[in-house]
Amino acid sequence: MSVMEAPENTPVWTDEDRCKACDLCVSVCPAGVLAMRYEPHSVLGAMITVSHPESCIGCNECELACPDFAIFVADKKEFKFAKLTDQAKQRQQEIVSNNYMILEA
Amino acid sequence: MAFNYDKYLRVNKMPTLWCWGCGDGVILKAFIRAIDKLGIDKDDLCVVSGIGCSGRFSSYIDANTIHTTHGRTIAFATGVKLANPDKTVVCVAGDGDALAIGGNHTIHGCRRNIDITLILIQNFIYGLTNSQTSPTTPRGMWTVSQKVGNIDPTFDGCKLAEAAGASFVARENVTAPKKLEKVIREAIAHKGFSYVEALSNCHINLGRKNKMQSAMENLDWIDEITVPKKKWDALSEEEKMNKLPTGILKKDEEALEYCDAYQMVKDAHQGKRGKITQDDFAKKI
Repeated sequence: MSVMEAPENTPVWTDEDRCKACDLCVSVCPAGVLAMRYEPHSVLGAMITVSHPESCIGCNECELACPDFAIFVADKKEFKFAKLTDQAKQRQQEIVSNNYMILEA
Repeated sequence: MAFNYDKYLRVNKMPTLWCWGCGDGVILKAFIRAIDKLGIDKDDLCVVSGIGCSGRFSSYIDANTIHTTHGRTIAFATGVKLANPDKTVVCVAGDGDALAIGGNHTIHGCRRNIDITLILIQNFIYGLTNSQTSPTTPRGMWTVSQKVGNIDPTFDGCKLAEAAGASFVARENVTAPKKLEKVIREAIAHKGFSYVEALSNCHINLGRKNKMQSAMENLDWIDEITVPKKKWDALSEEEKMNKLPTGILKKDEEALEYCDAYQMVKDAHQGKRGKITQDDFAKKI
């Protein structure tokens, strides 16, 4: 059973037991919130990470696109989401061109 | 609180057996949201699925489910619906399942206009058995059964269903999950045979050999070949070539539904009415 209640102050959270690292959620995110990290124990060698939760705009696209019931977005009443910024858009483009992997700090 | 899909799932069967990025999961989610919005109780819902990747649907949904033989979803569902006319019956089948092996059942289900919703997951290939040509595989694509390129002409399932007499025909793709949910909702609410074709990706068995390595590339290709119904109507014949319209393509609420017609047979046998004659039907031929 996955956690349906949002952990405190979290806009988006994941279930790593269900994620198959297909990159779909990362590809649809407009704000560069999600990325893949290297994970040697996963079948495809990657795993979903919420790398920039502060940028989440609550558009729900990742939840709708996930085929594996592995990603959840908080309700708009529960969490105050950010506005879409140019910096976030830029980061999203960089993540996509980095093959959906997390950007090096 | 996020939307609780687990309420409608057999959670002990998770994670799903589908490949990473498979569109079936998105369709399953859209279907769950649709039945949640319609407020259909799990006990009043019957999901019938056949063989193929789409056949796993009945394993994951926590409702009354039947996993039937290849292509026979509509045959089984017709029996379920006639015995329980007040329940919601939904068939899930793949393109190979419902258009090739079960093609006959599909057209006769459409012809009878029985109140079943058929969600046809169209991924352009036989995915489960590793890329054999299906009736919807585009010409020129590589498949294991036609290794130099597919030469078979393709089926347009929506046109087939329309011509056969289905009273609700729609097509939608998995890149628009919200629209898909809306279409499935309308299809289930519609009384009569509802045919919903959901274009899905199979980047593993179709994409990898046809220059669409990832789910995203395959979905981009599906986006490229689909046009919303409103735009489609404005296109010229030349522009319509190699494109598929999406949205609700036919909706006929006047057509006689089969369970209602069958009620007449029941009444005639119970002596509540006389024999059925031609005068009972507005449309005879």
